[in-house]
Amino acid sequence: MKNEKDIAKSIRREALKKNWRLFRRSKLGMIGIYIVIFFFLLSILQPILFLTGVWNKGIYDPVVGYSEQFQEFLVVECPTEYPTEKYKNRSDCPGRTEVNVRTLYYSDAEVGDYIIQNLQPAPPSRQHILGTDSLGRDVFSQIMEGSQVAFILGLLSATLGVGISTILGTIAAFFGGKIDAYLMRQSDLILMLPTLPLLFIISAFAELQVWHLAVVLGTIGGLGGSVITIKSQALQVKVKPFVDSARITGGSQMNILFSHVLPNVAPLALLFMVFSVTGAIASESVLSFLGLLNIDMSWGLMIYLAQVEGFIFSGMKFWWLILPAGLSVTFLTGGFYLVGRGLDEVFNPRLRDR
Amino acid sequence: MNILEVKDLNMSYKTIDGNVDAVKDVSFTVKQGESFGLVGESGCGKTSVAMSLLQLQADNGKITSGEIIFDGQNIVNLSEAELREVRWSGISIVFQGAMNSWNPVVKIGEQIREAMREHYPNKTKDENTKKILELFEIVGLEDSIIDRYPHELSGGMKQRAVIALALSCDPKLIIADEPTTALDVVIQDQILNEIRKVQDVLGLSLIYISHDIAVIAEMTDNMAVMYAGRIVERGPTKEIFANPKHSYTKSLLESTPSVVGDKVKLQSLDGEPPSLISKEKGCTFAPRCPYKDISCNPELDMQLKEVGPNHYVDACNAEKV
Amino acid sequence: MYKYVFRRVYQLIIVFFLFLVSSYVLFDAIPGNAFQNLLLNPDLPPEAYEQVIKLYGLDKPLSERVILYIGNFFQGDFGYSYKHFPRTPIELIAERLPRTLMLFAMVNIIAFYTGFLIGKILAWRRGSKSETWITVTSVFSYTIFYPWWALMMLWFFGYKLNWLPIGKFLYPEKWYDAPYDSDVIFVSMIKFTLVVSVVQILVYIYTRNIESLSMRRNVRFASLVTIAILSLLYWNQGDLAVQKPYAMDIAYHMILPIFTVTVVAFAGTALLTRTTMMEVMKDDFILTARAKGLSQKRIRDRHAARNALLPVVTSFIFTIVTIIDGSVLTETIFSWPGMGQLILQAVLEEDIPVAMASFSFIGVFALIAHFIADISYAYLDPRIRIQSQG
Repeated sequence: MKNEKDIAKSIRREALKKNWRLFRRSKLGMIGIYIVIFFFLLSILQPILFLTGVWNKGIYDPVVGYSEQFQEFLVVECPTEYPTEKYKNRSDCPGRTEVNVRTLYYSDAEVGDYIIQNLQPAPPSRQHILGTDSLGRDVFSQIMEGSQVAFILGLLSATLGVGISTILGTIAAFFGGKIDAYLMRQSDLILMLPTLPLLFIISAFAELQVWHLAVVLGTIGGLGGSVITIKSQALQVKVKPFVDSARITGGSQMNILFSHVLPNVAPLALLFMVFSVTGAIASESVLSFLGLLNIDMSWGLMIYLAQVEGFIFSGMKFWWLILPAGLSVTFLTGGFYLVGRGLDEVFNPRLRDR
Repeated sequence: MNILEVKDLNMSYKTIDGNVDAVKDVSFTVKQGESFGLVGESGCGKTSVAMSLLQLQADNGKITSGEIIFDGQNIVNLSEAELREVRWSGISIVFQGAMNSWNPVVKIGEQIREAMREHYPNKTKDENTKKILELFEIVGLEDSIIDRYPHELSGGMKQRAVIALALSCDPKLIIADEPTTALDVVIQDQILNEIRKVQDVLGLSLIYISHDIAVIAEMTDNMAVMYAGRIVERGPTKEIFANPKHSYTKSLLESTPSVVGDKVKLQSLDGEPPSLISKEKGCTFAPRCPYKDISCNPELDMQLKEVGPNHYVDACNAEKV
Repeated sequence: MYKYVFRRVYQLIIVFFLFLVSSYVLFDAIPGNAFQNLLLNPDLPPEAYEQVIKLYGLDKPLSERVILYIGNFFQGDFGYSYKHFPRTPIELIAERLPRTLMLFAMVNIIAFYTGFLIGKILAWRRGSKSETWITVTSVFSYTIFYPWWALMMLWFFGYKLNWLPIGKFLYPEKWYDAPYDSDVIFVSMIKFTLVVSVVQILVYIYTRNIESLSMRRNVRFASLVTIAILSLLYWNQGDLAVQKPYAMDIAYHMILPIFTVTVVAFAGTALLTRTTMMEVMKDDFILTARAKGLSQKRIRDRHAARNALLPVVTSFIFTIVTIIDGSVLTETIFSWPGMGQLILQAVLEEDIPVAMASFSFIGVFALIAHFIADISYAYLDPRIRIQSQG
């Protein structure tokens, strides 16, 4: 005779399996999961490469690595008027593999010669799949580092936020009265605050690091609108008959909260978590982009550097400084969002196909 | 004159677990002006039959074979545009749980007018309104309802409004799918009376679907009993009640308690209806038939056999019974 | 309905006060302020320092200052900007606000409308091949890294193709001897847009009573054409004829930012519409509509979309709340001097009065928008609007 706990556990396992099957059927969710897994692999790839010695830390470290990239350059003289037959406008000269003789101070090279220079940032090569940035650091390594940052930051702040809002929402639903009223007003207040300006102000306060940012984002997210949604979900559970019967049979309040309310609120909480990850990653990127974050390396920072050093308007000449970082942010946030959509289809039967 | 002839209709739903044959070889006819009842337990396929008549079944359902001849025309293979013309102005439906048939953000009158606009594009707004008010009178609703929103009406009022809606385009046949299940008995009685009155006044044909055999007895001239997607017995209502031939029909009748007479223990059938995914041949009722014996051949392809005037039974041992 | 409104107003006031107090405390806690930087000048005698502190009341205790602040707030007195002395924050805000409003009002309207349309179509084509990739594209345009996207747009259209101007909202050369200030032009542009929108909405409401649907469509189209003709006439007479080239210049500069933001913004609405529509489609009354013999398009637009409109419109009003929030990035990248840029600079330069003023302003704005959203929702949903007996 199985006791209740075993039965409950096996029911839960069945439910999990069924949910996984449903999730698999959602095309959006699967695309999202593949993307997330891809970036996750990227983020663990880097320490592995370092640990196993495949990569020399001196060269490949995303922050302090340095790699000399010698390239061959053709010495040219740039005309004063455009367009000429070789160049269409001013920015085309010198081309990527060319060097303007007027900028060579230390060499006797003349027009038509080939010289070898160590010029950063260097385009992709066999050694550096995505090239190097202006300080000679490997871009691919930076992307992987950024991936780590994104995951840590995203998951940390999401977990914190969801934890806070679940607890607060449940408390509001169950204890009602003044506590409820206060929590709702607090949520309203936070909802009202413009997030970005608030983040600016806080970063003017203190030099934010990744952990700090995660905590701040988590707290703001957790205290905000999600409390209201979780509270209404918890309220629905509260009025269900089984809660009353649990009370009658002598379950303590905490017990009820944990074993009945949480499983019902969990899907919603999970959904929030996934969506707040996307918000967290985006916020971090934006803040780094504006130069407000004290962080060693992240995707937003890469674009910040590219802009500050003036590479943006060079267009496709230095694409590896801009494209990988921008695309990574886009795809990872998109991936998490799709996972959230997939989960939505699992938990909300009305959204399914049949 | 037969207003509707259904011949060997088959409809199945495609699901992840397999094909669900919801309607198997269903045939029946409805004469003009008569009321036809369809009775059976939940999940036996009666609603699926109703939906297939107008091809309103869910997206994953498809009519695989058979004919539906309405007013002399086979409507199974009509195009969507042609089908839309038949809907509501030829056949209309009163749905189960009709309370939810109303769009919550549009006024009742507007929703009825919408149907009328679709089928009578040349009528003016006043003409339509006048007609709606006449219909309201027939079903027993006040004039003011026309400008109300659905949530302002009670359950009974919404139900009557649904009947008015069903009548709005002068259909020849109305399908009523458990129209009173969600209402209390008092309202139920009223609504049933309304329906009968309407039928008499307008000369409509009616298909009445229910799991409540008492209502069927009261409302219908002919009826059919369904089980697991098939019709197991079909014939005049009075005849079937007096002389039920199929074991399932018998059990159905016996399971209704009587208010008069001695108190008797209610009979019920053991077992459950079979899964509609399995493609077993032969009698689907065999596992539960109390009259099963060695001569019951489960491999037999079932056919309806006549046992009385217009009285058909889908049983293997009709003679014995 | 009125009870509901009343309750919300009452809550609004409480939250507003909380907001004021907490924002002051927040700003106060920022270490250092622009003043101290200015006063670091060693030539300045220490008495001057103290005088200044007294003048700005910085020597009083926190609680007193908070009360002073609230009092001043309602008088609209924020003191003087530290960096742009002697202009007051209110002046600065008044100057910058129309610019932000103009840009983002346009963006929101276009993005909302496009998003709703696409979401509607997406939900209806459930399960088809095009649905998946359109949805995925929408998702990625929603999550695209905005600064990156904006920079790309700027580079591509402004620099590479040279079609559109890079940054700022006017060509200074053209405005050398302009008889009007840019603010005036902005204000008249905003007035114009407002009038046109209001007229459109009114037309929409009044044509609802026309029974025949083709007639309805024709009337609405005719009204659109009339409005277009009237606007052309309007801009060509008298005063406005002079303003026209300047207004055109501004409009020309608005094209790129509007396009850039719309691409990112529409997807949010599209996805929300899609989800809501998908839920609505499972409702019973959709089945009834089909049974009535209505065409697919009619069911989609008049029944499903109508019900999906509620949450979508609410979210639209909420996006107005975040106008200034979102404008920070756009204005910085496009050098469009509006509210967003103002607050960013104020924080970076530690110009406390301006930062506080704009922050409070944003808060007020958000509160009001929030309030309007609630009320609109209550109005749009007849279930809340008409609470009567059953």
